[in-house]
Amino acid sequence: MFKASFHSSVLKSSSTIRLTTGLRGISLKPDFNKLKLIPPPPGGVNGTVNDKLKTPNPDFFHGSYHWDYERITAISLIPLTMIPLYAALSNGTMYPMVDASLCSVLLIHAQLGFTSCIIDYIPKRKFGVWHTLAMSTLYLGSALGLYGVYELETSNNGLVDLISKLWKDDESNVYVFGGR
Amino acid sequence: MSGVLRRCAFRLAGTRSLATTATDITPRLKTFKIYRWNPDKPAEKPRLQEYQVNLNDCGPMVLDALLKIKNEQDATLTFRRSCREGICGSCAMNIGGRNTLACLCKIEPDISKQTKIYPLPHMYIVKDLVPDLTNFYKQYKSIQPYLQRSKVPEDGKENLQSIADRKKLDGLYECILCACCSTSCPSYWWNQEEYLGPAVLMQAYRWLIDSRDEASKIRKEMLQNSMSLYRCHTIMNCTRTCPKGLNPGKAIAEIKKALATD
Amino acid sequence: MSRRVSGLQREVLQLYRQCIRAAHTKPKDNQPRFLKYIRSEFGQYKDLPRKEFSTIEHLLRVGHKRLEMYSAPELKDIH
Repeated sequence: MFKASFHSSVLKSSSTIRLTTGLRGISLKPDFNKLKLIPPPPGGVNGTVNDKLKTPNPDFFHGSYHWDYERITAISLIPLTMIPLYAALSNGTMYPMVDASLCSVLLIHAQLGFTSCIIDYIPKRKFGVWHTLAMSTLYLGSALGLYGVYELETSNNGLVDLISKLWKDDESNVYVFGGR
Repeated sequence: MSGVLRRCAFRLAGTRSLATTATDITPRLKTFKIYRWNPDKPAEKPRLQEYQVNLNDCGPMVLDALLKIKNEQDATLTFRRSCREGICGSCAMNIGGRNTLACLCKIEPDISKQTKIYPLPHMYIVKDLVPDLTNFYKQYKSIQPYLQRSKVPEDGKENLQSIADRKKLDGLYECILCACCSTSCPSYWWNQEEYLGPAVLMQAYRWLIDSRDEASKIRKEMLQNSMSLYRCHTIMNCTRTCPKGLNPGKAIAEIKKALATD
Repeated sequence: MSRRVSGLQREVLQLYRQCIRAAHTKPKDNQPRFLKYIRSEFGQYKDLPRKEFSTIEHLLRVGHKRLEMYSAPELKDIH
């Protein structure tokens, strides 16, 4: 009981300190404190030594679902890349649906991979708003990529054709190779 | 053929006995470079201190050399040790760039090379070779490493288990929680506060597959987030470094498989 | 507070305040001894240059641990 009252008093006092030094009402001055990195707790330990580590709330979309999607996209990329390779080698036809699914699966795969990278190296625990910023940049980029895929598939000839152009296309009028 | 072999063996034995008589006279001095840092003088930077140990009157393991240094040369050298036979996990440290137990790591006989000894990497240091494992133990506590059942057996004695079920725990229960694997994991270095690390995850798996345990649903749910389990990227440093020859990497993969179909 | 303090300095001040508050939860007669102990422990590193970040961080860690230990209600007195 003593301990509990002591802890609450400490908590209360620290919050009052924060209130007096932090924000005061409405202000046009931006709060740059948000941009600072969050320092780790002393010794990397939250709470007392004998407490157990706080387990985060279960979140399937960041847990097993994320992992499942990663594996599913990785495995489905194998046939999706083999088909165009085979088509190119045997001078077969390339189906636009295969091309479209290759593009989108590749995009999703990259998006999931980058999400992992961001969680690894820009963790919310330490970087706060920067983590959110990185994540939203990633989502924006993915949306842009999705629009690009749409453009590529509707008004152009698809990703496979784009790549094969790198080898087959006439380069004489391209500035870089033209040697002007 | 056999005669040649015998002659070779004889010559080998001969040279060996000669060598031992020779080394009885000349001491085989091996240099150990040991990480030193004293918390009583926190303003001083950590440094590597050199010690020379005569391998002729020293046991074969690194722990023997450390004890010899502490007894004869520098009593202020600090490290944890207890059982000296690899069952307590106290003497985990980084020897020659590899996390092992000092009591299970042989001294390299080549005396021209130095052996560098550091504490476990990327941990807060208490003193010299003693790391602060508070967070590690807190993580272990968080996975509820005890049997959870709704009712006790009818005869009031013990929870029985089939031989096949018991076999599943082999290679998991032997873990002594020396923290060698966890501190060798780059993912654990970066996200120590939230990622549980291979040692603790292996124990989580050990309780997950125990046939007597009834809380597997809660146990699985505890790992369903981006940090606790899924920061494992199958780097496999844990399996490579484990001084007990266990395979935490496989255990983590099994958890992931179990969660994937959840 | 006109003086601007860095984040680390503020943490040290916060720790000091917490220590003093913890000392005031102890029995009245023993409080001076606690306060003296706190003052001596903090005063020991008074001359530490403020650029010694890692040292100060280490001392903060040690201080927090010791505060936690000494603030247990079972502990009544120190010498």
